[in-house]
Formats: sequence, structure tokens, C-alpha cells
Amino acid sequence: MSKDRVSRRQFLSYTLTGVGGFMAAGILMPMVRFAVDPVLKAEAAGEFVATKQKVADLTNEPVRVDFTYKQKDAWYESDVTESAWVYKDDAGKIVALSPVCKHLGCTVNWNSDKEHPEQFFCPCHYGRYTKDGTNVPGTPPLAPLDVYPFKEKDGYLYLGKAKPRKEA
Amino acid sequence: MKWIPQDVETYSNAKEYVDTAVVPLYSVTVGGGIKQSAAAAEFITLLTTYLEKQFTGRILLFPPFTYLENEQSERVVTDLQNWEVNIFEAGFKHVFYITSDLEWRGREAQLEGSVIWLPSIPLEHMNDPQKLTMIDSQVKQLLTLFTQKWHENE
Repeated sequence: MSKDRVSRRQFLSYTLTGVGGFMAAGILMPMVRFAVDPVLKAEAAGEFVATKQKVADLTNEPVRVDFTYKQKDAWYESDVTESAWVYKDDAGKIVALSPVCKHLGCTVNWNSDKEHPEQFFCPCHYGRYTKDGTNVPGTPPLAPLDVYPFKEKDGYLYLGKAKPRKEA
Repeated sequence: MKWIPQDVETYSNAKEYVDTAVVPLYSVTVGGGIKQSAAAAEFITLLTTYLEKQFTGRILLFPPFTYLENEQSERVVTDLQNWEVNIFEAGFKHVFYITSDLEWRGREAQLEGSVIWLPSIPLEHMNDPQKLTMIDSQVKQLLTLFTQKWHENE
């Protein structure tokens, strides 16, 4: 027996504080996690997806780069393949444009219209964009093509989520 | 545009731009040919989905027209003609049927829309990138077919 004995009252209050503390933590921790969740999500949105394109192989001629990521559709998870038109501009800077037409969402192709070479061409309603993605006035699209943010890692090109530009 | 509420709404607001209907035709067998039937459906589904991605702004991809393989030919044709009437009445100018059922080649004359017949390629042993390149090359040929048809009527 030690000199200062723990009284029944003290013992009970220690036990209650301990157990109560655990219970409070059990309730509060999920709540804190939920509150913090949106912050963690925002980080995930900025994810970059690897492509098979080597940065060194890029020229000033736009090439189609396909990349695949997972997308969840309700309970169905699927691989989504998207494309980008990638080239190096005159200053040697990489430009990655989304192939989705800003009119109604068709896929645009590079240099496929014989009458208007060196342009992006939408076969659906003959919309056109210049090489930097700016919409040609007088054709249906009203905004320039979206731009992918990109990163270079180990010599390969990584693409992020396409972002719209300000109207031309 | 796909057969989902968001896309159908876009279609309703931009009807003058969406003048082409694409209807996949699925033949269904429950007996001996069940596997081929499923393989053909998978192939046509992938193909039309990819086609829709290329031409989102000008085509509306309908839910597939499905019929039993052993159904009487006249009945199937009458049913599809009925679809056709409704589709044209809704304001579409072009209708494309995409199928891998050989029967439709003989029935094309009875329809106003164009039947595109493609031999089904078994996809079950391919991995995803292989599937993609294969479908991509098939759809490339369809693209020219579609643009040609559009040019004819302009």
C-alpha cells in the first residue's frame, strides 16, 4: 500500500474522465474529418495524369496525345480516355489544347480541312480555331479551346484538368 | 449527344445544330448464339460511344433498337420504320443505323436512313489500349462516311 491512497471518489472521477474523453474523441474525430474533407478534395482535383508522350519528341506540329484516367459514374468506375493536341510554340513553350469544340462538344482535328490548312477544324458545324486555339470569328464556336495545364516528369508529359480561357 | 437528361436538354436548346440520329441495332439470341450476340452488342456499344464522342455536337445517340433474332423479318422492319417516322417528325434530317447483323443489308432498301453494317470484332481477348486503337480505326472510316453524307445535302 502506498501512502496516498486513491479514494473511491477520486478513482471514479478519473475513470469517468478517461472513458468520457474517449467517447468525446470518438464522436468528434469523424466530424472533424468531414469538415476537413473539402480541403483534401481540392488537392486531388489538381492531379496530373501521365501520358506516353515524350516531351523531347514534341515539335511545332500538333500531335494527338491520348491519356486515360479513372472516372466514377455513380457506382460504376470506368477508364476514360481523353485526348489533347500538343505542340511547341515558336518560343519553344509547350501548348496542350483540349480537342473539345466549344460550340457543342465535337472533337476537333488539326489540319483536316483542305480549304483552311494549319487550323483546328470541327467537322460538325465547320467551326475553326487557329493554331493557338483561338476561335475564328464567323464560325460557330464562341470561345477559344480549353487549355490543359501540364508538367514534365522524367521526360514524359503529364496533363492536368482542362481549363477554359477568357473569351477572345 | 447521349441519351441522358443533360445531353437531351442541350439537344432541345440546340435543335437546329443536331440533325443526325444514330440508332444502334442489336439482335438478341438466347439460344446457341448467345455469346456472339453479346459480343456484337459490346462491339456496337463501344463503337457508337466513341462515335458520339467525335460528333457530340451534331448527333443524338438513341438507345439501341433491340429485337429477337428469330423474330419475323417484316415485323422487325415495320417496328424500325415506325421509329424512323418518329425520328424524322422530330426534325432530324439524317438517320444512321449501326449494326453487325448481316440481315440488315437486305433490308436497307425498305428504310430511309442509312444502314452501316460492320462485322463484329471479338474484343474479349483485347486489353484496353488495343480496343481503343481498333475502335479508333473503325470510327475513322465512319467519320468520312458521315461527313460525306452531310456534304451531299448541303
